[in-house]
Amino acid sequence: MGVLVIVGTDKGAFLLRSDTARAHWKIQGPLFKGWKVTTVARDASGRYFVATASDVYGQALHVSEDLDNWRQIENGPAWAKDTERKLNQIWTLNLQTSRFYAGVDEAGLFASEDGGESWSPIEGLNEHPTRDSWYPGAGGLCAHAVLTDPKNSKRIWCGISAVGVFRSDDGGLTWEIKNQGIPMVIEDKQHKEIGRCVHGLVADPNDADTIYRQEHTGMFRTRDGGDTWQRIENGLDSSFGFPIAIDRTSKTLYIIPLESDEYRIPIDGRFRVYRSANGGDTWDPLTNGLPQENAYMGVLRDALAVDHLDPCGVYVGTTAGTVHVSNDAGDSWTQVSCILPRILSVSVYMQE
Amino acid sequence: MPQVTVQLPSILGRIIDESRAIPIEADSLGGALRALVDRHPALGVHLFDETGNLRQHVLCFHNQTNTRWLHSIEAPLAKGDTITILQAVSGG
Repeated sequence: MGVLVIVGTDKGAFLLRSDTARAHWKIQGPLFKGWKVTTVARDASGRYFVATASDVYGQALHVSEDLDNWRQIENGPAWAKDTERKLNQIWTLNLQTSRFYAGVDEAGLFASEDGGESWSPIEGLNEHPTRDSWYPGAGGLCAHAVLTDPKNSKRIWCGISAVGVFRSDDGGLTWEIKNQGIPMVIEDKQHKEIGRCVHGLVADPNDADTIYRQEHTGMFRTRDGGDTWQRIENGLDSSFGFPIAIDRTSKTLYIIPLESDEYRIPIDGRFRVYRSANGGDTWDPLTNGLPQENAYMGVLRDALAVDHLDPCGVYVGTTAGTVHVSNDAGDSWTQVSCILPRILSVSVYMQE
Repeated sequence: MPQVTVQLPSILGRIIDESRAIPIEADSLGGALRALVDRHPALGVHLFDETGNLRQHVLCFHNQTNTRWLHSIEAPLAKGDTITILQAVSGG
């Protein structure tokens, strides 16, 4: 068995391969040279989906069974002309269930019932009564996080910047706003329940109602599916950040705080990943092998991944194009020998 | 209908896994672009935006003429004409 890490950058995707020791890496690429690779996912049958985007040529979704032969999906997510919206990029793909989901910018959610060949808008969310009051965050008006309940396919969560978290209990027909306990960042004249800026979401693999939320205004946790949220920031020297990941084996959480929304760089140039082994009750900094001086790169929301081996591997791609890997759950780190373009996404897969 | 050649940038040519120079038969510039997308539907989303117009930063030349200066994209074509697709870049 081997480990495959797919690193999506501003200028293409790179494949990093290793055995399960995860100590030495071979690098292949770029795939989709010249394109932004905004997110990558693999479905249950082993097919890889890559979302690309370009400031000139728009966005597209591609599929491959072998990572060599790629086919652009012709009926990918697309806004109808009468919506007067532009589909700038696909931010996230959730292929966990037979119904696939894609979260996009301009914000919206699309679903595919046929293995990704055709996609339809989720009208209940995309035309939500608050829609006219949705405003973009610094990264755009984007639906960037989709969670599903493995025990109940009717339950779906979607995170939109800078709007907040929505939940559907009826398969996407209707959606409720789930921002109670989260401070507002953009106040709308009419809809006081939105204007929250969610940055990242992960759920407990065994309990979909327990969700961890990296928010513009801090780190939060819910144990009731998003009905209420509480701060979980004990041990953090900053609670502002973007990515969040959870190891489904140990349920260990990983985040990468940055200095404030104003600066968005590692505090004092010390690049730290934070880990919580108790569901967010406390956090500890991980520094062994990570650059601890003069390091001022960021990590974007889709550029942190874990591999679920034991011990868990943790993978971080930075805006400086560096890739940092831990093969011992974060206790120690090495930097992969490469400097890539700005990294947008990191995902990891086991291969036979 | 006259045969013309559509020249694609390499970044789009790789998507359709074909030569960057594509022979097309069409009477008009717009007809040639429609025929190109009919033959290679994957190109549609990359050339045209949600309004059906050429994307803002996609340049299209009919021989030496930037089609943005034409009054209509339905300008007639002649045998041997070249339509060139480029990305609009200027400077660094």
